[in-house]
Amino acid sequence: MRSHGLTMSGSDSRFFSFPVKPVNKSIPDPNHNVLFFPAHHHRPIIFTTTTTRDSIGTVRVKATVNDGFVFSEAAELSFYELLGIPEWGSLVDIKQAYKQLARKYHPDVSPPGRVEEYTQRFIRVQEAYETLSDPRRRALYDRDMAKGIHLAFSARKRYQKDEGMEEKSEWKYRWQSQLSELKRRSTNKDMTGNMSWGARMRRRREESYNGL
Amino acid sequence: MAEPAYTVASDSETTGEEKSSSTFAEIAIGIDIGTSQCSIAVWNGSQVELLKNTRNQKLMRSYVTFKDGVPSGGVSSQLLHEHEMLSGAAIFNMKRLIGRVDTDPVVHASKSLPFLVQTLDIGVRPFIAALVNNVWRSTSPEEVLAIFLVELKAMAEVQLKRPIRNVVLTIPVSFSRFQLTRIERACAMAGLHVLRLMPEPTAVALLYAQQQQQTAHDNMGSGSEKIALIFNMGAGYCDVAVTATAGGVSQIKALAGSAVGGEDLLQNMMHHLLPDAESLFLDRGINEIKSMGLLRVATQDAIHKLSFQHSVQIDVDLGTGSKISKVVDRGEFEDVNRKVFEKCESLITQCLHDAKVQIEDVGDVILVGGCSNIPKIKNLVLNVCKRDELYKGMNPLEAAVCGAALEGAVASGLSDPFGNLDLLTIQATPLAIGIRADGNNFVPIIPRNTTMPARRELLFTTVHDNQTQALIFVYEGEGKTVEENHLLGYFKITGITPAPKGVPEINVCMDIDASNALRVFAGVLQPGSHLPAIPFMEVRMPTVDDGHGWCAEALHRAHGSSLDLVTVQKKI
Repeated sequence: MRSHGLTMSGSDSRFFSFPVKPVNKSIPDPNHNVLFFPAHHHRPIIFTTTTTRDSIGTVRVKATVNDGFVFSEAAELSFYELLGIPEWGSLVDIKQAYKQLARKYHPDVSPPGRVEEYTQRFIRVQEAYETLSDPRRRALYDRDMAKGIHLAFSARKRYQKDEGMEEKSEWKYRWQSQLSELKRRSTNKDMTGNMSWGARMRRRREESYNGL
Repeated sequence: MAEPAYTVASDSETTGEEKSSSTFAEIAIGIDIGTSQCSIAVWNGSQVELLKNTRNQKLMRSYVTFKDGVPSGGVSSQLLHEHEMLSGAAIFNMKRLIGRVDTDPVVHASKSLPFLVQTLDIGVRPFIAALVNNVWRSTSPEEVLAIFLVELKAMAEVQLKRPIRNVVLTIPVSFSRFQLTRIERACAMAGLHVLRLMPEPTAVALLYAQQQQQTAHDNMGSGSEKIALIFNMGAGYCDVAVTATAGGVSQIKALAGSAVGGEDLLQNMMHHLLPDAESLFLDRGINEIKSMGLLRVATQDAIHKLSFQHSVQIDVDLGTGSKISKVVDRGEFEDVNRKVFEKCESLITQCLHDAKVQIEDVGDVILVGGCSNIPKIKNLVLNVCKRDELYKGMNPLEAAVCGAALEGAVASGLSDPFGNLDLLTIQATPLAIGIRADGNNFVPIIPRNTTMPARRELLFTTVHDNQTQALIFVYEGEGKTVEENHLLGYFKITGITPAPKGVPEINVCMDIDASNALRVFAGVLQPGSHLPAIPFMEVRMPTVDDGHGWCAEALHRAHGSSLDLVTVQKKI
């Protein structure tokens, strides 16, 4: 989960209550109900997945687990959703949301043993903040979002995490999966849709810099 | 009493993880080891309290004397007469010397200190020694710092009636990661575990965040974001930070720092008073050291006086036949040190630029550190920041240690019923970290002022056809070429599939985790496959030990460019 998702307790609704949402057509799809048995769990976990598609083409996946534990694909969240602000939120809103989330998810305030997970969370929040707090980058992001480009933070290949795995080997695992992702990207250099938005922006900046 | 006053807790591994065996949260203490003075503070349950030594001092001189063979530092030993501290047996300014090699200009500038700093200019650690019974007793900045920390620790333990292990130390912004390992090592030698190393202005920023939060509480204010510029200049270093504060969170927008400080002002002034000082003191006998010390004390005294009066009369008999009798005015002092002041200005400008903050948006300008009394410093900070007034809520000499103590309490997991510890610092990297590529260039992977924790990556490729190996040299700093930066380590990656130059893809990823540990990953991507060609290398940095600067040179000489890399985007 650390690799691409945000794990959070059921009571924490920050990432799930999108205060302002366009009217969604909710299409509950029975095919999205997945049943699987993680090795470390003795009982099955049922992910009830609801796919909602809104006017600007982002896809959100919400998943509920039968023990009340909510799991979300942060990879599917837009930067606005990540910060919990509406798409027309002001710079002040963005700054405020960022600081609030930092107080919640900065690794310094992490409970013992969850530092790595909080680090991943914070890095995501940071990227969302850095993009949206810069008017130029925010405009580009909004444009891409309107075009319906996949806004994945990381469109990395999903894989199930074995919780018994120690932090270090997990890192390698993730990194290797990142490498393969990179490889895939580089073979289709024009297909930037699969890159994380931040990476795409960095590349764009680098390209424009080198073009000068 | 032949035993050294410190214990070597761990000789090679000084950054070991804290054992999670402690049963209750121990409040980490904050320590500000200055080049010239040091202080120690702790959260006492309701506020930060500075500890005093037996002589009722909150600020203690940072030095260790090896007189009589038993080292003792400025915490416990009787206040020596200023001249006695300059007898050759006392070592000070260790913060300027720690983790530097003998080619470093800061080490060269330290040669006028009244003890032995010898350089051979080959990139190894300088020879530092104290004169004890007319014999040079060699030591190292780490050892001196450790001895000093042992005293500080003992003093705190007596007062707090508990063992002290965890500490938050303040450090200069410009310290390289290698220098940080030296600080950690000194702490380990003293039996202390470093919980955090905080750049000094960020400690001040945390104190500011707490003060702002209190004000917001009192006024039932909205707690909207406030930008502050912090300028901290002590004896050894000058640091600047721009912080955005709201709701107890201090977000460091940018940092800038340099090894310029009061010591430079003092040395320039000494040189002004006695231009041929270097040749006079070349032969370091007991008399030369004494003269050097006399000149130093007289100059220091004059500079202090110039902060409050426009001119000062200097009369000093150096003993060796030369005598100085001169009136120096403030203008002269400012003229002699023009370059230092210009550097200070440029650091502020650079920091504001990096923070992408207009000077008009800065709410408060905070001036702290031992040099904050110097009128020229005050004026230049006000001028650059276009202000008439400085922030008044802090004691300029205690702000950094108070911030460190706050961080110590927060990092120890303490909470306060009044919300005084609902604080967080979002740190940024003070220096860029990257690798050597495109010839002798430094290619940053994590740029300066990147929010931490962070992870960044960059693609590189080979420079020769059928190149199967590459050397990854990791550097930290701001220079365009690698020589201008600090070497953190190097390693070789092998198993690159033979291919024409520019085809293989080598991914170098850098990760700074929550505890500020840097890891470098390097992997080769297999052509036409999703898989890495070989297992990637993961190396925790820094790996270099003292004096390994010349190893990089030796490697360059031995291998030429055969193991070089270039960045991918520049090859187009």
